[in-house]
Amino acid sequence: MPFRDNREYIEALEKAGEVVRVAQEVDWDLEAGAIIRRSYELKLPAPFFQKIKGYPKGFRMFGGPLANFRRLAIAMDMPADSHPGAILDEYHKRAQHPIKPVIVKDGPCKENVRIGDQVDLYELPAPMVHDGDGGRYISTWHFVLTKDMDSDWVNWGMYRQMIHNSRDMGGLFLPTQDIGVMYYRKYEANNIPMPFATAIGPDPISALASCASYGVGRNEADLAGGIRRAPVELIKCETSDILVPAHAEIIIEGEVLPYKRVDEGPFGEYTGYRSSPRMPRPVYRVKAITFRNDPILTVANMGVPLDDADICLSVCGRTDIKTILDNYGFPITGIHLPPECSGHMIVVAVQAKYTNIASHIANAIWGTKLPYPYIVVVDSDVDPYNITEVLHAIVTKCHPVRGIRAQEFAVGHPLLPFLSLEERMWGKGAAVLLDCTWPLDWPKEIAIPRKASFKEIYPKEIQEKVLNNWKNYGYK
Amino acid sequence: MPKEYDTFVDDLSTLPEGKELILAIRDLAPGNRKYDTRVVKAILASSANKLPEGDILWLRYQRGSLRPEPWRIKIIDEREGLLLKEKVYDT
Ligand SMILES: Cc1cc2nc3c(=O)[nH]c(=O)nc-3n(C[C@H](O)[C@H](O)[C@H](O)COP(=O)(O)O)c2cc1C
Repeated sequence: MPFRDNREYIEALEKAGEVVRVAQEVDWDLEAGAIIRRSYELKLPAPFFQKIKGYPKGFRMFGGPLANFRRLAIAMDMPADSHPGAILDEYHKRAQHPIKPVIVKDGPCKENVRIGDQVDLYELPAPMVHDGDGGRYISTWHFVLTKDMDSDWVNWGMYRQMIHNSRDMGGLFLPTQDIGVMYYRKYEANNIPMPFATAIGPDPISALASCASYGVGRNEADLAGGIRRAPVELIKCETSDILVPAHAEIIIEGEVLPYKRVDEGPFGEYTGYRSSPRMPRPVYRVKAITFRNDPILTVANMGVPLDDADICLSVCGRTDIKTILDNYGFPITGIHLPPECSGHMIVVAVQAKYTNIASHIANAIWGTKLPYPYIVVVDSDVDPYNITEVLHAIVTKCHPVRGIRAQEFAVGHPLLPFLSLEERMWGKGAAVLLDCTWPLDWPKEIAIPRKASFKEIYPKEIQEKVLNNWKNYGYK
Repeated sequence: MPKEYDTFVDDLSTLPEGKELILAIRDLAPGNRKYDTRVVKAILASSANKLPEGDILWLRYQRGSLRPEPWRIKIIDEREGLLLKEKVYDT
């Protein structure tokens, strides 16, 4: 059974030992953020804060909702210790069968309603996540819903939101993201305010699906239904026609005004750095807030791996890219975005069937909207889920000159730490392909080195003998 | 007790001392509204002895790091809303 909401999910995580209830009062100002961050870095259970300093009893905070593959397996209703590859394959399979949402009349997200002058973003315990952030980021595990100006398309995207004051928030709208397409090219171009809603603390799969590049004109609500194997329940906003998840913890409604820019950032980002410049960015004007009784504000504290962003980018990015490569018929045997690489590296294992297939694959990936700076193409004997095997392939099979194909004029974005400040501002990116496949014109037995692994360098009979006698040698 | 605020700046020449300026500051008063952005007309000074009656203004680089020595700020009046900036790039 899919989780109806964030609360059922927390309960299941707790049963699996993935949650620590923090009864002691914690400060929303850095203390909660520091605890969440340390829990990632020590690979500990997710902290569920029961009492937040200065906020009423019952207002809670939950950090690190999807920070490892175990939590992902639980969110997907799979055995907690499933292999990452099995979870990713299952996600990919379910993504092929979207299920449309259903509309409901009533839902817990309406238990408390604040409209117009009653709106005060400080009523909620938004955390100061990292020291030096530009403000309190109320939205880090959530998604922003926007409806296209001239079609039925409704986009869900996880885009950060920082509180400016009691009624205004700022955010980062990359021009290549769907919210950028809707806002810069449509609403703002026509001088029309863009209605939005933000769902904080939705069910875990809806949050995950919002991180997918599902495509212009395609609704992530359908994708979330497919992954959950049950429709998402949506309910109408108080101030617009946007339909929001009825069981989310908190809904923020309002509009993004055209041509209004206010400094936003900096923020500790998914790359593991505070890297994008504080810059004039669009403003979300809030018109209403609704929330559940005893709301739970969900928090992803992005930074060095592994955290929730690494898992989401790994899952969603893989299916986005796999779908495209499969459509082209590339002879792919595996594909992975190692979460240790902050979503910046794609490893593709391929049966190298023609010369320069690695470049062909890299160009197909670079043709998508997300700028993946590192593409590693390996032969099919390398397991893309095994980072040791991948690193070994890079340093042994990728020729330091001929194997590296740099892409100088790639699309970038302001969050990429390796770009100069000026390049970050203008989105002047760069990318590289590391071709770790043996050249096809090297004669197999003469030129291609033999891999010295148990599986490859011993005759079959010896392998069988050793395996059959393994316990007799004294090994368990 | 002086109040405490902060603002983000890389280039100090954009904050001339002793002149009336409009700038966005964050209110660091403890409590649930901490970090609220306020837009003020104010006079700034780089040290306490140049503006003895001033409140404390911490300066952060645009990438968030704190400069070690705070400045002083004397707020003359406060503006409604946010400090609007020119749209530079779509990011
Ligand atoms: C925790 C988290 C925060 C994110 N914040 C942003 C953000 O502020 N801006 C952005 O453009 N993408 C952000 N992303 C990445 C987007 O969610 C992701 O690229 C998604 O595909 C965007 O949806 P879209 O393809 O519908 O535009 C974030 C991802 C995660 C997991």
